Amino acid sequence: VKTVVAVKQVADLDDLDGEPVRKRINEWDLFALQAALDLGGEVVAVTVGDPGTEEVLLQCLARGAERAVRIDASVADPLAVARLLAALIERESPDLVLCGTQSSDAANGAVPAAVAGQLDLARVAVVRGLRLVDDRLELDRELEGGLMEQVSVALPAVVSVQTGINHPTQPNLRAFKRADKTPRETITPQQLGFDVAELEAAAGARVRRLVRPGAGESRATMLDGDPAEVAERIWEIIGARVPA
Amino acid sequence: VGRDPRHDILFEPIQIGPKTLRNRFYQAPHCTSFGSDVPGAQAYIRAVKAEGGWAAVNTEFCSVHPSSDSLPLVSARLWDEADVERLSLMTELAHEHGALAGVELWHGGCVVGNLESRLPARSVSQMTDESLYSSSCYELDKAGIREIQRFYVDAAKRAVSAGFDIVNVHGAECGAITQHFLMAKFNRRIDEYGGSLENRSRFWVETIERVREAVDGQAAVTARLCVDTLNDSPLGIRAGEEAYGFIQLADPYVDFWDLQVGGWVAAEWAGDDVVASRFAGEFSHREMIAAASAATEKPVAAVGRFTNPDTMAEAISSGDIDIIAAARPSIADPYLPAKIEAGRYDEIRECIGCNVCASRFPQAAPIICTQNATLGEEYRRGWHPERFTQAQNADRDVLVVGAGPAGMECAVVLGKRGMRRVHLVDAASEIGGCMRRIAAYPNLGEWGRLTQYRQVQLDKLDNVEVILDTRLEADDVFEYGAEIVVIATGSRWRADGMNGPTQSTIPGAEADNVFTPEEVFDAGGSIAGDHVVVYDTDGYFTAVAMAQMLMGAGKRVTLLTPFPNLSPYMFLTGEAFRVNRELRAEGAEIITNHALLEIEGTTLRGCHAFSPAPLEWSADSVVLVTQREPIDRLYHALKAAPDRLAAEEIEAVYRIGDCVAPRLIADCVFDGHRLAREIDSDDPATPLPYRRELTPLPATLPDLVGSGA
Repeated sequence: VKTVVAVKQVADLDDLDGEPVRKRINEWDLFALQAALDLGGEVVAVTVGDPGTEEVLLQCLARGAERAVRIDASVADPLAVARLLAALIERESPDLVLCGTQSSDAANGAVPAAVAGQLDLARVAVVRGLRLVDDRLELDRELEGGLMEQVSVALPAVVSVQTGINHPTQPNLRAFKRADKTPRETITPQQLGFDVAELEAAAGARVRRLVRPGAGESRATMLDGDPAEVAERIWEIIGARVPA
Repeated sequence: VGRDPRHDILFEPIQIGPKTLRNRFYQAPHCTSFGSDVPGAQAYIRAVKAEGGWAAVNTEFCSVHPSSDSLPLVSARLWDEADVERLSLMTELAHEHGALAGVELWHGGCVVGNLESRLPARSVSQMTDESLYSSSCYELDKAGIREIQRFYVDAAKRAVSAGFDIVNVHGAECGAITQHFLMAKFNRRIDEYGGSLENRSRFWVETIERVREAVDGQAAVTARLCVDTLNDSPLGIRAGEEAYGFIQLADPYVDFWDLQVGGWVAAEWAGDDVVASRFAGEFSHREMIAAASAATEKPVAAVGRFTNPDTMAEAISSGDIDIIAAARPSIADPYLPAKIEAGRYDEIRECIGCNVCASRFPQAAPIICTQNATLGEEYRRGWHPERFTQAQNADRDVLVVGAGPAGMECAVVLGKRGMRRVHLVDAASEIGGCMRRIAAYPNLGEWGRLTQYRQVQLDKLDNVEVILDTRLEADDVFEYGAEIVVIATGSRWRADGMNGPTQSTIPGAEADNVFTPEEVFDAGGSIAGDHVVVYDTDGYFTAVAMAQMLMGAGKRVTLLTPFPNLSPYMFLTGEAFRVNRELRAEGAEIITNHALLEIEGTTLRGCHAFSPAPLEWSADSVVLVTQREPIDRLYHALKAAPDRLAAEEIEAVYRIGDCVAPRLIADCVFDGHRLAREIDSDDPATPLPYRRELTPLPATLPDLVGSGA
């Protein structure tokens, strides 16, 4: 199998005060990558972003991806990202596309569905287990309340992976050294056939700045005291806000 | 993102007589063992705090005259011009960083040994201090009282000429003659300096008044007063009663107050002025401070091991105090004010309340800190707590094996020194190493701050990766791909009873009813048997923790030790009195001066420390807290294969922390820090020499005059 794994560099929401804000690979994507590596075959990691996002590709190469491709575009809108990814995936013609179920910063969970839509492929979301059986993929989907759904799809397909599906291995320093020496590929939207102006126009939402609401703006209140006192306070607060 | 507006109050300047504190952060006087004889270290430790935002930095207690010579304990001194010159370095550097410099004038009365000056001790009454053997003192007559007050006046003038902005008349911690006059415990006089509250205050009030005249508006005057001696004795001081009265009487002569509770010197109070985290959290003496501070309109400073800006802001906004005094929090984090000011709350390196800093004072050893490896190293090693240089070999990848105190600290500092990649690998599922156990010992939760601070730092460093649940064997390390390997695999307790006092193992230690501290911890204290003997030759906190865990699990516990006291190190940290008291109150039996030599079933054989006559005890189980041994197998396996190291392009293998030699946690943190600071030296395994402050040789040698054989 040849698998394309779409990965994203996310902002560390615990470090919005950092200057610049710390970036790292989306946690879900590590599980998607590991799932691809566990299936065997060629694994191509793909990301969309500026040169600063290459760090996530290095992570993928160190973890065992064969190739790593960056689509050189700074777009944040899930649909714009999906269009770019779909164009590249079409070129690569993999047997399988794996993504994380969502990204830890934006948490839209939209890209996998949009990619599948663009490519008219089957899409299975929130996957907790996957097995290749002949030329089909058998999948365990996570539902609410601890329920699981078993699904079987024909390949190619787009699958979004939940955390905990596997144990991503932590590469050692030698793996990073090897990754340092592996060339990373870059492709522009134009090379993928996009008109930049059109893409810009369609880019929609973009991230300009990440800020944490100041302490003065917080509307949370900590209630101290024993359970009875806290209950009393809650009753007062509700009473003050709910018309009689 | 700035600071929380609730903390703005901490940054409001406040007037103290002729001087202004730029904010509410006041580094209270605290010992360093640098005094005035080690002037570089003294100046730099205070200067770094001044740079870190403290509005004032103080010396430790500062002797006014050779008749108050604290040896072997180290005080500062303002005996003559030579001391003025030495302490001027501190005031100069404090001023460069915009802080005021304060000095705590002190005469020890009857608690000093005068081991250097060989003068007899002078005292309020002819009362002998418990800390001195076969030495007593003489009672001051009126002329003697005037003379002591002159010592204070002369020292105050020297303080001004040394550039001090705050002159503090020390009357606290039960170790100053000023306080001895105040306390009926020491003061049995029947003249106008004894008896009534007003009479007992007379010496102290007169002294403060004379000091005020002497400094003549060139320095702010304060008095450090112990407002409660915490001893429930009619001979002590109560905050709402005597202290209230004392403050009213001296109030006209001070510009602000420096209030504290408890003492260091006398046994019954020892440690309560620096109460350890195992006993109390922030501002634990609040009620007493508030009761006393109600007596004055002047600004009040008080300590409370404050590390949380919310507590600090509330202490001020409530009106209980005006100035946040801090010794230990300033030791753990000299940049505490600057970090709060910038809203960098998660960067605060909070004091863990272990009191290892304080333990150095009775040893006359340079101050150290468990949290802050750079403390005391500012001058002699040139270490700054917040600044790091890019390593010359920063293009190297480093593997640190073991995420205990040494490994965590080493990885953090290597990260800050810009090493290309640092991998901190641990077999456990979380970082902390030995701290995962220790911070879960009864009452030691705050010690977990050691790990928490480093966790935050590790998370922030892009070039440092923490890899858990991964046990590395020698082959894994060879193949890891690091040019530099640091082994920090810690230590374990000896299971065979090997111990310092006998330099032998204990036959029978291999039996099923004999346990190590790790086994007791893992069982939550619920080991076999009802009656457990904890045998301690370690002398610090582990045996105490074992006893507490076992008692918590319903066991009857006997602590057996060859030392004259249980946990002798806790006498240095100021924890011993309360720990002994509490263990006894909780039903522990404590047998000191006895060695355990053999275990046979439920029979324990040993002897008294001073007699070989065999003795027997019985117990269902035994816990051996004898000594630790390094876990150094991995280190030696790597070092034994130099060819393999070369083939794998591993340039160097170092070891740090307990896996070199089991030590204090503070020493392990230091070890990890030291290696990282010097990772680009010619020989990082060997610490670079530090600057020594030696007195120059005399220009001319004196003759020994006289005739005779």
